[in-house]
Order: sequence, then structure tokens, then C-alpha cells
Amino acid sequence: MKWTSAACDIYSGSAPPSVSKGMKLLKIGISGVRGIVGESITPRLVMDFAAAFGTYINSKPVLLARDTRISGPMLQAACTAALLSTGCAVLDLGVCPTPILQLLVKPLMAMGGISITAGHNDIKWNALTFISRDGTYLNSFQGAEVLDIYHLGKFKKVATDRLGRVKAAEKAADAYFEKLGAFINAEAVAEARFKVVIDACNGAGAKFIGRLAGLLGFELIPINHEPNGFFPHDPEPRPRNAQQVVSIIKAVGADVGFLLNSDVSRVSIVTETGESLSEEFTFPLVAHDLLEDDCGSVVTNLSTSRMIEDVARSRNCPLIRTKVGQSYAIQTLLQENGIMAGEGSGGVALAKFQPAFDGFLTMAVILEAMARRGKKISQLVKELPRYHIVKEKIYCPPTKIHSVVNEVKKFFRGHEMDTSDGIRVEDKQGWVLVRTSGTEPMIRVIVEDSAKDRARQRADEVIHFINLIIK
Amino acid sequence: MKKISSLKISISGVRGIIGESLTPQLAAAFAQAFGTYIGGGPVIVGQDARPSGTMLKQAVISGLLAVGCQPVDVGICPIPSFLFLTKESKSSGGIAVTASHNPKEWNGMKFISRDGLYLTPHQTEEFLDIYHQGEFYFVEPERYKGLKTESNPAGPHLKKLLSYFDVDRIRGKKFKVAVDCSNGAGAVLAPRLLEALGCEPIFIHCLPDGAFAHDPEPLPENIVEICRTVREGKADVGFVQDADADRLAVVSEKGEPLGEESTLALAAQYVLGKTPGPVVCNLSTTQAIDDIAGRFGATVVRTKIGEINVVERILAMEPRPVIGGEGNGGVILPDIHPCRDSFAAMCVILEYMAASGKRVSALQKSLPQYFMIKEKVSGSAEQAYRLINLLKKNYEGKGRIELSDGLKVRMNDHWIHVRPSNTEPIIRVIAEAKSREKAKAAIRTLKREISALQRKI
Repeated sequence: MKWTSAACDIYSGSAPPSVSKGMKLLKIGISGVRGIVGESITPRLVMDFAAAFGTYINSKPVLLARDTRISGPMLQAACTAALLSTGCAVLDLGVCPTPILQLLVKPLMAMGGISITAGHNDIKWNALTFISRDGTYLNSFQGAEVLDIYHLGKFKKVATDRLGRVKAAEKAADAYFEKLGAFINAEAVAEARFKVVIDACNGAGAKFIGRLAGLLGFELIPINHEPNGFFPHDPEPRPRNAQQVVSIIKAVGADVGFLLNSDVSRVSIVTETGESLSEEFTFPLVAHDLLEDDCGSVVTNLSTSRMIEDVARSRNCPLIRTKVGQSYAIQTLLQENGIMAGEGSGGVALAKFQPAFDGFLTMAVILEAMARRGKKISQLVKELPRYHIVKEKIYCPPTKIHSVVNEVKKFFRGHEMDTSDGIRVEDKQGWVLVRTSGTEPMIRVIVEDSAKDRARQRADEVIHFINLIIK
Repeated sequence: MKKISSLKISISGVRGIIGESLTPQLAAAFAQAFGTYIGGGPVIVGQDARPSGTMLKQAVISGLLAVGCQPVDVGICPIPSFLFLTKESKSSGGIAVTASHNPKEWNGMKFISRDGLYLTPHQTEEFLDIYHQGEFYFVEPERYKGLKTESNPAGPHLKKLLSYFDVDRIRGKKFKVAVDCSNGAGAVLAPRLLEALGCEPIFIHCLPDGAFAHDPEPLPENIVEICRTVREGKADVGFVQDADADRLAVVSEKGEPLGEESTLALAAQYVLGKTPGPVVCNLSTTQAIDDIAGRFGATVVRTKIGEINVVERILAMEPRPVIGGEGNGGVILPDIHPCRDSFAAMCVILEYMAASGKRVSALQKSLPQYFMIKEKVSGSAEQAYRLINLLKKNYEGKGRIELSDGLKVRMNDHWIHVRPSNTEPIIRVIAEAKSREKAKAAIRTLKREISALQRKI
């Protein structure tokens, strides 16, 4: 237990106040655009991106959903107007988590979707995530096409008679829970009569976890259960934000606690003993359980803990590492015909359910594992190997962030470097990854090691070197 | 002539063609400018029944939210009810998504002050300055206001109408009334109003779905169907509202359209008979208004075209005018609210019928008889300006020339008026005389003169 709480202490970095000084933050990635509302996220920007997406979709139906952020209705109205203007019908899911939207794309016969959510970012942020007709994040080719249309600025404009219409589709979420109920052994979970604490952080999950509880027959003890967009803590599932769950879990005698991000694509776990597990545990826990019966390729990213390597090896399954980001992991999962994909941030996808990081599925699978194996969550965790991981982030002006990361190569001179996403150096004891954040003007430094002191020491050395370059 | 742009930004607001000039990006930018101008607070947002209304309204809502306003979505709402609600609800302002009587491919936005009035030319200028500077007051999400909806936006307006008119007297007559709402926003309130007035209504085109059953201008040639309905249904009167329900055309019990100029004339004759006082109307409104006012010793003040010009004059005058309006069927009763109101116009005419005990055709006969012909030729504001400068010379010495809005010439037995439209790239050409022949002759001459000059503009 000690190292996990230590890890959460070490993971100290939140954005320094200098972040938004002068520089407007806008992150355009392959599957979406993210920024600070009122600075870079304006109706104009949102409309232009949504119109570019609508032009790409070419006047076909598009699913639209948002998390509970206070800025959500602004972005939703802007997306709706722009999509309609390109002739796309808008199937409005209202407040709805991204994985539910992703699963509904095909049954609702939509040709794509936009999820309005900034996931784990704080309330100042919002973002559009573009979903393909397959229900996945856009891949790099699809994303490049949308971006080309955006940059060209030539959006499809249809005449009055051919404008899209808005259709309310909130009821469609039923289909998601039907499919989840068929996938999970709900009866086995119900028989276990679990008591589960879930902190949805007043995000989109708050609207739906009651249905999950009904489906799986557990007693739900909800925390931050109002889908009102006021985040009592950062909506990032990790030990630092778990205090509320930790403080009640023993008192109420719950079997497990879950933390969700604002769109239910990530989960972290609190054990029945009140131990707040690093979000790195979520994926290995799922893998450890499911790979026993069903072997196949496991996909993860370069910054995820070695735990998953050990788990995959122990089950004789190949492990593939990709660049960081849901799109890369899922594309590789599909290309390699893999069995599951996941990230150290708490996102897990099972190919047999849907190619998307899905927090509802993750919770359901973990509860099923507890029920089937008749074990407490703390016992399941004990079966996993333990490493010491240090995650830090350092603010760096976005205009020189990539050159700074490139300079870090000098620090590792003489070692073998994997540069597919930042710089990753690995040895027997552990690994170091230095990469630019996909969502903020931050350089992330992640160090994992079998020895706690050495992890901290390696991280400090790298951070010191980076700070010298920035100055 | 060169290609005419389909975007019109004027004192009547913004209008454009969907799929061409009027994009959601543009609508959001105007909403942001408006929200910045009024400095936050609740803003009533409504739409007429055009199918493009939802798209534009969403754009407007997004723009208002981004600058810290609280949009109050009232859905499809008649414009007079909308204006009344903006004032009554103590909102900071309103944006109505409407293109009034423009054809279906058009849409637009009208901007409304906290008083429930269209922005005055001065306010419009200030607001457009903000738009053109492009510096909007975006707020942080912590200061966002939620989106509200109002399901009975016409309620306060209806209440006011029923308290103002002699409802018992109208109810006592149990009038049979045929109404054509042009499938516009009027359909939201007309049934409730007529029920409250004890009328037996026959509705046609009463689904506010924006499928304009006919061209949305309530001109006689568009109202063949209501005339037949009046005759076949043996109705006492027929009414046609335009798509946003600010204007009204009247059909007699014989199924004959009175002509839209008669609406204000009828209303003025009744209102002045009860309460003499000044009348305000625009330059294009029928000469009959002057004759009627003359009978009651009342004065008539004429303004430039545009509802806000009439309204501004009404508000500036002491004693307060008792009635105002436009010859296009727009009746303003300042005691209800200083805006054109087809519902107030219906009430006035029904009360006139009840109080006088006369049929509509008889009331029509009691009006001074004039014949007006309104035509249009295509042309931009710039072309209209050059045309008017050249045309002016033809009329020097022939009558009283007025140049405050285009060219109006009042001659012995008729008058003509040529001016650019504020809302469409067309030039309006109007003539009125005591006889139809004279009016026809005047418009023929005028159009011949215009086509002779067309090569020079």
C-alpha cells in the first residue's frame, strides 16, 4: 500500500499559473480539439471544427453528446448549428458518456459522432472528440482529412430544404445497457450482493451509474452524484482525487470503490481496505482476470506500467506498445486483431465488447472477476506485481516543447532510445519516458522502477536536466 | 447588373440566405456582439416557423452563452408576444430568429432591447461597432449561465390583450372568424386568443412548421384560399397573419380581401373615434390615414420606412400617439406595446365590428377610397440610390418632393414612392391614387422611366 500513496504524493504537478499567461492554449489532435473555454474554445472555433467534421461526414446523421461541464451547452449549441448547416442530422444524446455514444453509432445508423468532453481536465477546459462511423476515435488518416477541411475553411453549406434536423435520442442509451447486460454475467455479480462506492465527480457518469447498479444488482453508494458540472475535485481518476471515497469506504463496508473521469472513459479503484490504487492498476487487474481464459494480443502505450508486461507474459500473451492516446491504442488493437487495449491512465477496451475505452465495462468486468473468483478486490490486487512509478509534469511553452524534448536525448546518450512517442529508455530495473502531453503544454516525465528510491532519483535527475534546457 | 449579395445588415437586423450568406458562424458572431453590447443577463431567444430556425437559434444560443448571457429559449413565438415578453420578464434583451416576410430560403435575426423594442438606429450603430471590431466579451466557464426554456412565451401578451379590449362585447357577438396563420408563429397564439374572445374559428395553414403554404407576404394575391374559406364557411371576417405575426390582412364577409392598406385605416378609424390623438405612420402608408385623421381633427406624422422609425417617433411624441403603424398591415397600439401586433389588430377590428354592429364590407366602404399599387424591381441599395438621383429630375416642379427615404412625390391626385428595401436587394416602387386607373397609369409611367434609366445605373 505504501508505494501507491507515495506515488500519488509524488504526482504533484498541476498546471502552474503561468500556463495561460499570454499564450492561448489550443491542442489539436488527430481525433479532436481541446482548449480553454473563452480563450481558445469559442463558438466560432467549435463551429468551424464541427462544420469541418460535418463536411467530412457529408450530410449524414451524427451523434452528439456532452459531459456535464458548465460550458457544455455552449459547445453543444455550436456543434448542433454547424452540423445542421452542413446537412447532417443531429441525434442528440444530451448528457452522455463517450463510450455510450461510441457504442450507439452503429445501432443508430449514424456516420459518426462528436463527444463534447475534456475527460480528466479541469472545469476551464472543454474539447470535441470526433468519433468515426465504426464508433472509434478518428484514426490519423481520418483526423488529417477533417483537419484539412478545417484549414481550408470550405465547409459544406446546404440550402434551407436540405438542412439537417435535430432528433432527441436520449432513450437510445438503453441499447448500451442491454448489450452490457448480455456481455457480463450479471446474475453472478448480483448474487455477490456487492456494495460499491462510485465517485462520478458530478460528471456524465452520474446520470448512468444507477442503471449500471440496477443491471448488475449491486448496492450503489454514490458520491458527487449530481450531473451538474461542478467538479468537487479534478475529474481525473487517481489517488490524489480519491480522498472522499477512501474516507467512507470502510465505514460503509463497501466491497470496492471506483472513481470516474467526466466522460467515463477512465476508472481508478479504491479497495475495501481503503487503499487508493494508482490508476495504473486498472488495466492489469482486468487483464489478469480475462487473459486466463482467453489469450490474445494486448495493446498498451509507451507510458504504461510494466505491470501489464508481467501480466501478459504470465498468461503467454503478446504485448504491443503504441504511442500515447486512445486512437493509437484502439487502431493497433483492431489492426493486430488483439484482445484488449488499455492505458496506465485507467482506460480499458475489450475488443469483444467495443473498440473504445469504456469505464462502465471496466467496472462491470472487475465486479465480475470479484464475484467469479470469490475474492476481495485487495486480494486480486495482491496477485499483481508491484512497481514504483513516478509521474511528473513540467510546464513548457508550447512553441518550444518539442525541441526541449528532443534535447533530452543528450541526457540519455549511449542508451538505446525508443522515440516513437517522446523518448523512452528501458533497462532491467525499469524505464524512463519523457514526452509532450497530448492535451496540455506540459512535458511529462514518467519513471518506473522496481526500487522506490531509484525511481524518485531518476525522475529528479531528468527533471533537473529539462529545467536547465527550458531556462 | 452585377451579382447582388444576399446578406443584408440594416436597422431591421440581419438577413441572409441559408446555405449562402447566413451561416451559423455569422449568427454566433452577431449574438456575441449583442451579448457584449447588453453586458450579460437573460436574453429571450425565439424563432419563427422557418425550418432553418433551429439551426440559427442554436448558433445564437452558443454565442450568447459564450459571452455570459443566459439565453431563454421560447421556441416558436409570434414577434409581438416576443417583444412583450422581453419587457415584461425584465430581460436584458432578445434575439428573434426570423426573416419576417422574406421568402423561405431566407432567415435572419432581429435584436431587441430591454424595453422590448427593436434596437434604435443609434443602438444598432453601437452594436454593429462591437460586431465589426470583433472583440467579444468571452467569459470563463465558471461564469457561464445555464440555458433556460419558457414554454408559454405568449402568455403575458395574451393576458394584456384580454385586459385591454372589451372582451365581453366581442364574446357577445360569437363571431365566426377564418384565420390563415401562413403556417407561421401566429399559430401559437391565434387559437387561444380567438377562443378567449368567444369566436368560432376556422383555421387554415395553422401548423407552425414553416412550410409556408403561400408566399409569406400577406398580399391579396396570396390570400385566395382564405377568401374561399370565408365564403364557404360563411365567416364574419377573415384574417391572414404573416409568418412572424406582426402584420395582418383582412378579408370581408363576402370573401373579398380589403387590401393590406385597409388594416391600419380600419383600426385608425375605430381608435380615433374612441380616443382622438396623433397618428404616426411611414411615408409609404396610404393617404387614407390623413383623411381619417382629418375627420377627427388629429395630426399625422410620417417617418422613414422601418418599424423602429415609427416606434421611435411614437415614443418621442407628447401627447402620446393613440395609434401608429404601417400600410403593410402593421398596426401599433402604443398602450399595449409599441410594436406591430397582428393580434391587437384582430382585436381592434373585432371590437369595431361588435361596437358598430356593421359588417366588414360596410366598414370598408366607410373608409376613404384609395388604390395603391406596390411593385418591386431588383436592384441593390447602391443602384437604388443612383436611380433616385436621376429619377428626381423627372419630377422637379410636378409635386412635393420628399427625400427622407428614397423619393416620394405627392402630386395633385396621386403620389409615388421609390426606395431601396431594407431587407432584400430590391427597389420598391409604389403609387397611390383615388382611382385604380390613375394608380395603374402612374406606376406604368414610373416603371417606364425606371427602365429608361436602368442602363445608366
